[in-house]
Amino acid sequence: MSRQDHIREFAAKALADGRVDYFIGWKKGHNASEVIPAFVKDPADVEQLIWNPLCHHNLVTFIKRNMPDPVDAKIGLCVKGCDSRTLVSLLQEELVDKEKLYVVGVPCDGVVDRRKLEKEFADELVDVAFPEKGKVVVTTRKGETKEFAQAEVLLDACSHCRYPNAVYADDVAGPLETEPDREGTKPDWSDIADYENLSDDEKQATLEKVYSTCVRCFACIHVCPVCVCWDKCVNRSRQPELVAQKVGAKENLLFQMIHMFHVAGRCTSCGACDRACPVEIPLHLLHRKMNKEIYDMFGFEPGTKLDEKPVFQLFDLNDQFGD
Amino acid sequence: MAIKFLKQDQLPAFLGYLAEKARVVAPVKTDGVVQFEPWTAGKDVELDVLLAKQSPKEWVFPQTETYLKFQYSTVVPEQSDEGEDAAEGAVPHEMIEVESLNEAPTQVIFGLRPCDARGFVQMDQVFGGYGGFYFDPLYNARRAATTLLAVTCRDPRSTCFCAALDGGPAGTEGVDALFTQVDGGFTAEPLTEKGETALGFSGFADATDAQTSQADSVKSEAVTKVDAPFTLEGIRDNLHDNIEDKGWHDLCMRCISCGTCTYVCPSCYCFSINDELVEAKGERYRVWDNCFNPLYTEETSGHNPRAQKSNRFRNRFSHKFWYYPDKYDSLLCSGCGRCIMHCPTRIDIREVLQVMGSPRAAASGEPTEAEGKEA
Repeated sequence: MSRQDHIREFAAKALADGRVDYFIGWKKGHNASEVIPAFVKDPADVEQLIWNPLCHHNLVTFIKRNMPDPVDAKIGLCVKGCDSRTLVSLLQEELVDKEKLYVVGVPCDGVVDRRKLEKEFADELVDVAFPEKGKVVVTTRKGETKEFAQAEVLLDACSHCRYPNAVYADDVAGPLETEPDREGTKPDWSDIADYENLSDDEKQATLEKVYSTCVRCFACIHVCPVCVCWDKCVNRSRQPELVAQKVGAKENLLFQMIHMFHVAGRCTSCGACDRACPVEIPLHLLHRKMNKEIYDMFGFEPGTKLDEKPVFQLFDLNDQFGD
Repeated sequence: MAIKFLKQDQLPAFLGYLAEKARVVAPVKTDGVVQFEPWTAGKDVELDVLLAKQSPKEWVFPQTETYLKFQYSTVVPEQSDEGEDAAEGAVPHEMIEVESLNEAPTQVIFGLRPCDARGFVQMDQVFGGYGGFYFDPLYNARRAATTLLAVTCRDPRSTCFCAALDGGPAGTEGVDALFTQVDGGFTAEPLTEKGETALGFSGFADATDAQTSQADSVKSEAVTKVDAPFTLEGIRDNLHDNIEDKGWHDLCMRCISCGTCTYVCPSCYCFSINDELVEAKGERYRVWDNCFNPLYTEETSGHNPRAQKSNRFRNRFSHKFWYYPDKYDSLLCSGCGRCIMHCPTRIDIREVLQVMGSPRAAASGEPTEAEGKEA
């Protein structure tokens, strides 16, 4: 039985039993190269649910404050390992009610970065297929076809994944993926080494350049599963106007710095912000750097244990404050 | 007006010719992302990727546009001992100096698509005083100083739907001259006086009959590649009738309520006005806003008539296909499909119009429990 079949079976049962009002999974988008979040209300519709390496959306986004419709809905949802950590972050802070959730963990061996595929062609992608494990076949509108090894076109975030299986779930869609040795190894931060090696001035210049193209659409904020202020976001406030609404390199950097500080200790580097950004800003850069600092100072990995609290919600006299 | 021909390798020389007298804006690829930006010699114009991430709207209606600068000061008149009247005038008083800005450089936008050009025509209604409404000097000054040289969409995308909106991949609405890619270069048809002027470059030859007929077949073939997923007939009335339909809730479930669709759109024009004051110096600017922003409708009392995501979601489509046509006799969508391509969850405007632009069963009109609850 495939993971996809498991997901459909779990969803159908939860809907039929009335355990949930709707179930959130993934389904095919407007063509076979796209996957979009699916909201299933009728057990007869579970056939539209799919599972493949294009299922990048972190569905925890849709259970955070102001997303459920109706507001008190009982919701079922699928989570990959990385997604489950953001769910645990929300649970640690009691921002969602565990009793109203039904969580299906989906063991994951890596999500394909569709933008990496897009960059290989000038033409539009119309089909991305997975004929066998580890192989990706892309077809464009004019019929050009190219094959890729899955490992070469994964999201960057997948290269440093330590949680291929959900850390919190009610049911699991099939056998678990092999767990890495987390006890004996540290997280891999090599992706930000280039940034860390820059001088302060170079860092400032890099950040201003990276965020200069930001259009302030707020996709990064709204898609972020642990960014929960919604309508009260300080970045929107105009009375007082704390962040200029103006779009410019310095203003944009301040806007992103605020996002980084507000999710510090809760951000799990799930990468949803990167994938939502319409102008492809590498938003993970600041967040990853912050996560590394938090790990180095407190040994804390956000969203991994239900009985922990986010590091900035605790006060411990034994904390070590840097050098 | 005669159709001309420009050899492919003459394109940089042509843009260089234009750049002598105007700012030239064209689609350029930087780090894999195609955007409209000022062209300078040596930059390659990207025409293989059909649509730049954002429309060229920014160059006529900038995202941030400072239009007033002001400075407060206190004037202390010289003291005089002569009579009571003079003494009254000698009271120190506040003064504000205001400088208005309206920058409208002559510019040519090359490489936009017919849908992009049509977006400007649609926006012209709201900024141009149509129906006796406000005439916006900022927008109109820039618009008048801008020449639009569009390129036919030889290979439309599956997300294109201009054909459903009475447009097309070789549409000429708002276009000053239309370029079409043929063997060895482009045919160029001047459509307005501005277009005629832009084609004054000496590198153009008269197009041969073979080139014009190839351009014609490129255009007619392109038309066959665009889907028309819905018909406009009845959409306005149905959107009106379906305003309370619970279908809006179902369709917006995956919407994250960001503003991406509006900021990549060639015709979304909403903005807010901000004052920024540092010590005694300030500026007033307008900046793009969008109907998904909670502050867009929040009232001073704190009440928000569009409290929920679904209320905000409904507005975007109703505005484009119902309120705007009612008020300005024009659609507010040219079918470029950027909102579908760049939406983080691929909300599909075609699907929304198919569902909510059709008659709905009366039974589904029951307001849901959540409707109207404050967020």
